[in-house]
Amino acid sequence: MLTEKILHEFETILGKERILTSKEDLLSYAYDAYVEEYLPEAVLFPKTSAEVSQIMQVASTHRIFVTPRGAGSGLAACSLAKQGGVILCFTMMNRILEINKPNRYAIVEPGVVVSEFQKEVEKIGLFYPPDPGSATVATMGGTVLMNAGGMRGIKYGVTRDYLMGLQGVLPSGEVIQTGSLTAKDVTGYDLTRLICGSEGTLAVVTRITVRLLPKPKARRTLQAIYNTIDQAGNTVARIVEEGIIPATLELMDKMIIKALEDYAHLGLPLDAEAVLLIEVDGDPESVEKQAGIIAEFCRGQGARDVRVSQSEKESEQLWMARRGAFGAVARMRPTCVIEDATVPVSFLTRAIKEVITIAQRNQVQIAVLAHAGDGNLHPLVLCDLRDKEEMKRVEKAMDEIVDFAMSVGGVLSGEHGIGIAKAKYLPRQLSPQTLNLMRTLKNTFDPLGILNPGSFLECAP
Amino acid sequence: MISKNLREEVHNCIKCGICLTPCPVYKQRLVEVASPRGKVQLIRNIMEGNLELSENFVRILFTCLLCETCTVNCPSGLKVDQLMKAMRVKVIEKFGLPGKKKFLFELLTGKRLLPFYLFWGRVLRNNLLPLFPVKGKVGTIPLKKFPRLNRQPFLKKIPEVISVPEPKGRVLYFTGCATNYLDGEIGRATIEILVRLGVEVIVPKDQMCCGLPIFLAGAPKMALPNILKNVALFNRWDVDVVVVECATCGAALKKEYPHFLKEMGEKTEEAMALSQKVLDISQYLMKFDLGKMLKPIKGKVTYHDPCHLLRSQGVKDEPRALLRQIPELDFVEMAEADVCCGGGGTFQWEHPRISENITAQKIESIEKTKANFVATGCPGCRLQIFGNLKKDGVEVIHPVQLIFRSLSG
Ligand SMILES: Cc1cc2nc3c(=O)[nH]c(=O)nc-3n(C[C@H](O)[C@H](O)[C@H](O)COP(=O)(O)OP(=O)(O)OC[C@H]3O[C@@H](n4cnc5c(N)ncnc54)[C@H](O)[C@@H]3O)c2cc1C
Ligand code: SF4
Ligand code: SF4
Repeated sequence: MLTEKILHEFETILGKERILTSKEDLLSYAYDAYVEEYLPEAVLFPKTSAEVSQIMQVASTHRIFVTPRGAGSGLAACSLAKQGGVILCFTMMNRILEINKPNRYAIVEPGVVVSEFQKEVEKIGLFYPPDPGSATVATMGGTVLMNAGGMRGIKYGVTRDYLMGLQGVLPSGEVIQTGSLTAKDVTGYDLTRLICGSEGTLAVVTRITVRLLPKPKARRTLQAIYNTIDQAGNTVARIVEEGIIPATLELMDKMIIKALEDYAHLGLPLDAEAVLLIEVDGDPESVEKQAGIIAEFCRGQGARDVRVSQSEKESEQLWMARRGAFGAVARMRPTCVIEDATVPVSFLTRAIKEVITIAQRNQVQIAVLAHAGDGNLHPLVLCDLRDKEEMKRVEKAMDEIVDFAMSVGGVLSGEHGIGIAKAKYLPRQLSPQTLNLMRTLKNTFDPLGILNPGSFLECAP
Repeated sequence: MISKNLREEVHNCIKCGICLTPCPVYKQRLVEVASPRGKVQLIRNIMEGNLELSENFVRILFTCLLCETCTVNCPSGLKVDQLMKAMRVKVIEKFGLPGKKKFLFELLTGKRLLPFYLFWGRVLRNNLLPLFPVKGKVGTIPLKKFPRLNRQPFLKKIPEVISVPEPKGRVLYFTGCATNYLDGEIGRATIEILVRLGVEVIVPKDQMCCGLPIFLAGAPKMALPNILKNVALFNRWDVDVVVVECATCGAALKKEYPHFLKEMGEKTEEAMALSQKVLDISQYLMKFDLGKMLKPIKGKVTYHDPCHLLRSQGVKDEPRALLRQIPELDFVEMAEADVCCGGGGTFQWEHPRISENITAQKIESIEKTKANFVATGCPGCRLQIFGNLKKDGVEVIHPVQLIFRSLSG
């Protein structure tokens, strides 16, 4: 329990201004982009790692639960106070500490917004590839702790692939450093990668070092429209098979097309079954060449229309719209639950068709969006949380999607994490031994169990 | 008071947070209640009975510029600003207007509605001074930078109908309070330009303050009589177009009146008919070929997008195109021209610290362009920008004033 006395101890660290306890404030830290909500007892806003360390010491002494939070754009309640306690919110710890051009790395505080960081490095000709659909809101901390992916995954990988090192605070308050500033480093266990994607359960991250790339000199966006999902899927297979690696390869089904049209008026045909949105980047000549070859593949697989963007602005519009897809779809019904199952890429077309069948069988509305290049499906389940009957059918459809993904060697989550949304499925993918090892690790980092309690490991059966 | 549509909309917020970073107020405060998502979620909690209408909530609700950035950014299509406006009305019904503001709006309405800018211009300059013990400042603006009142209200100085031989058009001109009481120059420029283009101009004497500042503050009952009068008045004149040069009045006539009347349970047909006819002056002028008539002006101009012009009315290109037509005048786009200036009507007065930081960024963008003219079609923005400019020698001006200067040579 968070008593007045403990609150006072936090106050001596942060001052009154950076601690929120009003009912209104607590209610507005009770949600993220998932459907469930949990009320915290206070929200703290640190600005330095020293403050974080002191906060964790107080929390350890009094066994106060602490749940770190970035922007709260997560899709699985990972940043919510599932068992009460305080939220440690990083939005005010948001400085870019260094951008080092000669060595191509940058050091940032966790509260920096991803797209703002991208803008800054691009100003000097560098490039930070991880690009989740939520880049304009998500924080660097949040994306590290979720190992966020995004649309450029097929060519550039995910957040993990750009992490060089972290500064973290253990639940005890001790400060640790992981990784280094060098491109190569095999000293000891790779704790950086362990903490990355740990959903805020092992340590609190207070400083992040990331690797940067030179900014690609040119890019082109292609949009191909298909009458059937198969044609789109075959195109993806053809591109991957041929060894061409576009920067992004996104697939959208009919329902997404309709929603996007309502939102952004791009002039997409409403009777098409699928659209592929493909971006290639690199040197101008190779971009031209690749765009040409891909356009040919699209036509060869029966695309009824292939368009190549003529300007940066035109590409930007297409991607803006794609970024808004989740929200745009959500216009249709009050609640939207995002699935995130991922399959080996050769099963992509089958998986999409399977999802559509599952939707029909259970009489639920599902729109399909996919990071097609890496087999990452995003079925968007449209429903109304207030309709209990419907939610039961939704649950059943979700179970069936997981069944299918598991049956072809897929995974529970490609990038959104497990959180409480998918914890119940965890034993489907991880053996008891693996789960056990994970629990031991958690226990080593956090023997008192005060960091992000109620998270995926704890709610897994 | 909150219509069924809006109520339903609350449930369409998927809590994605896409509205956070673009919100100028959130960007300063970085706490969730300062964000659009936070406000929408609190409103939902109130509707679901989890939260009382508290004074704290009122404070939260009013810590917002109503710049509508959230609305245009929300991929779920939530009309966030409409929701917050409706909610403001509801809380004011319960709590009444807070002290200072109550006084303000009683002054504004009195028996007849005293216009908003009369308040800024005259009342503040003398009678009310003791109410604002802030080192010669109102909010972020030094008192000495407040404009002086017109010697005589603009509407008194001009005939109601300004005819031209063989008119090429017939427009009704809604002046707005700022022009009527503070900035007659703009009115004169507008009319002169129209007349030179061969357009007949009708300026109804009995037009009233558009009322927007008052109903945005949550006091719609005070604003209602004005709105009804304005609507009735406009529909009495037979014109093709109603032109407005004030971004806020334009937003009121074009967009807010129909919503507002609907929320108040009034008839909306006439307001809808009116809204179809309204054009911002820049939109109207683009219908003519001004180019040949314009003479050079030396210098550099940059343009600031007023929230009420860009997001409420969707007018972006026309004012820029107008300015670009002026020979020798160099047009430079400032960074983040579309970000709110931080004024937000009475916002800068109630939340000076937040406002100051937002405005500082705007001023920085302006200074970087090295422009000597900042053009913008909103009196509130002009006041805010001028009031916070540190450098001398930069003129903050309405686009029509520059056009008029260029016409006159
Ligand atoms: C519209 C939309 C699109 C999305 N698209 C994608 C996508 O394409 N790819 C993708 O991977 N995800 C996507 N997401 C999910 C989400 O945006 C990401 O998971 C993102 O990484 C979360 O960042 P955040 O700052 O909001 O973190 P939060 O949601 O606040 O937190 C996420 C996790 O990180 C922990 N955490 C945060 N900061 C710290 C810290 N400093 N120290 C320790 N732990 C911390 C929290 O405890 C929590 O477990 C999307 C979400 C939305 C709403
Ligand atoms: S952008 Fe729209 S849907 Fe997303 S959180 Fe903001 S109001 Fe809600
Ligand atoms: S109207 Fe502007 S200030 Fe108010 S919540 Fe929306 S974006 Fe923020």
